[in-house]
Amino acid sequence: MEDGVYAKMNHMKINSRTKLRQNVKKIIVFSILLIVLFVVLNLTGFSKHVKNFFFLISSPVQKTFWQAGKSVSDFFSGIFEPATCKIELNSLYLEKEELLGRIAALAELAEENETLREALNLELEKEFQMMLVRLTSKDVFHDSILIDKGEREGISSGQPVITGQKVLVGKIGEVYENFSEVILISDKESSFDAKIIESEIYGIIKGEGNFKFYLDLIPKDEEISKGEAVVTSALTGVYPQGLLVGEIETIDKSDANPFQRAGITPFFNIKNLDYLFVITEF
Amino acid sequence: MIMVRKIVFFIFFFYLLVLTQTGFWVHFKMPGIIANFVLLAVIFINIFSSSGQNRILSALIGGFFLDVFSLGNAGFFGFYTLALAGFSLILRIISEKYVRFPVGG
Repeated sequence: MEDGVYAKMNHMKINSRTKLRQNVKKIIVFSILLIVLFVVLNLTGFSKHVKNFFFLISSPVQKTFWQAGKSVSDFFSGIFEPATCKIELNSLYLEKEELLGRIAALAELAEENETLREALNLELEKEFQMMLVRLTSKDVFHDSILIDKGEREGISSGQPVITGQKVLVGKIGEVYENFSEVILISDKESSFDAKIIESEIYGIIKGEGNFKFYLDLIPKDEEISKGEAVVTSALTGVYPQGLLVGEIETIDKSDANPFQRAGITPFFNIKNLDYLFVITEF
Repeated sequence: MIMVRKIVFFIFFFYLLVLTQTGFWVHFKMPGIIANFVLLAVIFINIFSSSGQNRILSALIGGFFLDVFSLGNAGFFGFYTLALAGFSLILRIISEKYVRFPVGG
């Protein structure tokens, strides 16, 4: 009787081992096939077509989700952050007054500039050639967004992307047939030269991720203050000069570092981005 | 037939999840948290589902959609699929070999 039970148990053990071996074989074969498939997709560049196909069919739904997310988050931020809203409103009033003053001063300067140009018979600077694009989605892991124009519309890698107010958003990364990826200036891989408008101090903007970036390599003896605006410079030619980047929020001046650095608040808010411009020529 | 149903369900489920993630939830900032619902769903299914089929299918399909919709210096297309499938297999081996649940009182 006991022998029979042992025999049965042994048989079951052998069966389960054979099954396990078969399963392991299947898994190994499947894994190899999967790896080969992905390697081929990457090497042939077919992965770009796969992505483009999914972007194309998802674009209308994603745009709807984007709009819905924007509305819902605006609604909730109004409910849960009334105190912040009030403070923001007050600071906006102050900023508005300051900007009005600046506009008046700039208008005078513009008039003066125009007169000088006419006097010197100079041609006006060539405007950028721009293309209107619409934001489709944002990546979760990286500071990158997707726009609805691609190779077909003449977009190529490295072209700057700005808002209607000439605020720098980022540059084109990967280009698909109908879509393009925009690497935001806050991406960890992003770095470019910039200057502080008022004091004409140059530095390098480096992305930290999560919509944060800082101005690095500012000489220690230079005096910088919070609220100063930072724009792009044309030293390396990555971006055209004079595009708005952000304003100084924090200043980090430690004895350990030979340079000081400033934390920058971007002038753009991802929530408010809807339509953007790609500078195709500058 | 059940397998096909499962595949179709996971495709719809993860597709919807990835679309809301990249379009809708982007607007809600949670300090210090990157809400990746696809990844969370795959981990959840792999930990709590008793079906091996569910585990591997969720890892493969969820990973594939993460690969498709991930931008930003996107390196190797297929990274998330392979990583999640590997994670699912490792979890299966661990749970089959080393985890025992007490039965009875």
